[in-house]
Formats: sequence, C-alpha cells, structure tokens
Amino acid sequence: MNELSVEVRTAEDVTLVYPKGFINAHTVRLFETELQRSLQQGRFKLVVNCAELAYIASAGLGAMMGTIEEIRGNGGDLRLTELNETVQNIFEILGFNHLFRIFPSEKEAVMSFREGPAPAA
Amino acid sequence: MASGRASRRRSASPRAALLLSVPSQTSFLALVRDLANRMAELAGFDEATAGRLALAVDEAATNVIEHAYRGAADREVEVRYEDRGSEFRVEVIDTGVMVDPRSFPSVDLERYRAERRKGGLGVHLMEKIMDSVTFRRTARRNVCCLVKRKDGGAAGGA
Repeated sequence: MNELSVEVRTAEDVTLVYPKGFINAHTVRLFETELQRSLQQGRFKLVVNCAELAYIASAGLGAMMGTIEEIRGNGGDLRLTELNETVQNIFEILGFNHLFRIFPSEKEAVMSFREGPAPAA
Repeated sequence: MASGRASRRRSASPRAALLLSVPSQTSFLALVRDLANRMAELAGFDEATAGRLALAVDEAATNVIEHAYRGAADREVEVRYEDRGSEFRVEVIDTGVMVDPRSFPSVDLERYRAERRKGGLGVHLMEKIMDSVTFRRTARRNVCCLVKRKDGGAAGGA
C-alpha cells in the first residue's frame, strides 16, 4: 500500500477529499496541505471520504482540529464519510465523533450541506 | 537439582519477544506499527485490538522522534515487543530529552479546538487504548512502557 495519496474533487461548492493509505506523523503534511489548499481557494465545505483510509494517528486528527475553527468561522464545515471500523473506533475513543459530523455515505455527507448552516458543535 | 531446573525451564511457555532498532525518522513509523500489529496478533489479541495497540505504539514512537529527539533524524529508537503471558508489553526507548508526561495538559476537546491546537493528542490516545502507560528514566535512557492485559482490563473496550 502507498503510504498516502490524496485525491481532491469538487461537487459544486463542496470539496471532496480522498485520503488513500494511512495518516500519521510521516504522511500528515500531504493531508494538511490539501486541506489548506481548499481553504486558500475559499472553499470551506469539505467532505473527507475515508473509504480507503486504513488508519489515522493523532497527527491526522490534529490536522483536522487545526483547521476546523477557520472552516466553521467561514460558514463551512469538515464532514466525514465511509469510515472503516478502525478509524471510526479512533474517533470514538477521542470523542471526535461529537466534534465532527460523520455520514454513512458520501452522497449523504454532500447533501447535508444543502440542509443549512453548520451546527455550533 | 540441575535436571530439575532444566525440567522447569522446559515446562515454561516460551514467550515471544522482539527488539527493533530504527533511525529516528518518521518513515520508519509504519514498520514499528506493523510489527506491533503482528506481535499483538501473535499474542492472541483480535484484529481490532491489535490495530489499536499498534496505533498506541506509533504514537509513542512519534513522541520520541518529535519531542525526545526534537526532530533529529540521526538518533536511534528502540522498540521492545514482548508477550508476557498475561499481558502484552511494548517498551519504546530513546536516549533523548526526558519528556515529562505530566507536562501534557489533559485534553479538553472544546478548548483544544478553540485554541487551534494540533499536538498533544498522542499521549491521550495511548492512555485510552492501553491499560497502563508509564514513563521512566534509567541509565540515560527514557523508557515509555505500554501494557495491555489479555483479560480485557480496565481499558479492554477501547
């Protein structure tokens, strides 16, 4: 498996981020760069599709935490979808499932941005 | 007496132990993690628990590289994996700066988010996953000892 590759697509005003591999202290810079690129382009509605994310260490969780205030401060949100059991479990252990909205499918995650503004959580 | 001792030795269950030494570079974290995963599975943990144990070891090794060695890439990280029968133990050893775990503030996610912090989650994650996480300094070596009991323990569900 490649350590990490990150593909980015857009669906209207939503940016879809596809990390493939694993995110730890060695690979986090690439993931962080792609999140920041979206923010610099003024795109604050992000869906991270974790279908091909094998695992995430605290460095990756920290990267999301480091951007979420700016994202929500600009009326957007970072939402997640298709987490495998390992990644879901890590989110739950740290309580990240209360900070980030997680959806079973990419379609639901994208559609959630049509519902209205991001919650205060 | 000699034969008695030999007999006792033969009857004792062999315990798997493995010592790995890698350069203090994050490119070796995947190897450290993969070995933790395999050793935990060999020790009898299920796939999900072994995966979490491996993550805790990844976090401990990351702390060594980033904090004890302050990013220096020419040092050495030792990892000792050991099946001790009733528990699985991993020691992550370095000769860098002693990092006092008490210096890490407890993680309050709301405050953490508001302050836009990125680090500090690793020790919190290790403590949530393992039954015991201890740090000690001995003979100029720092030893982070991670223990997971096989009976489930207090953190068995994590």
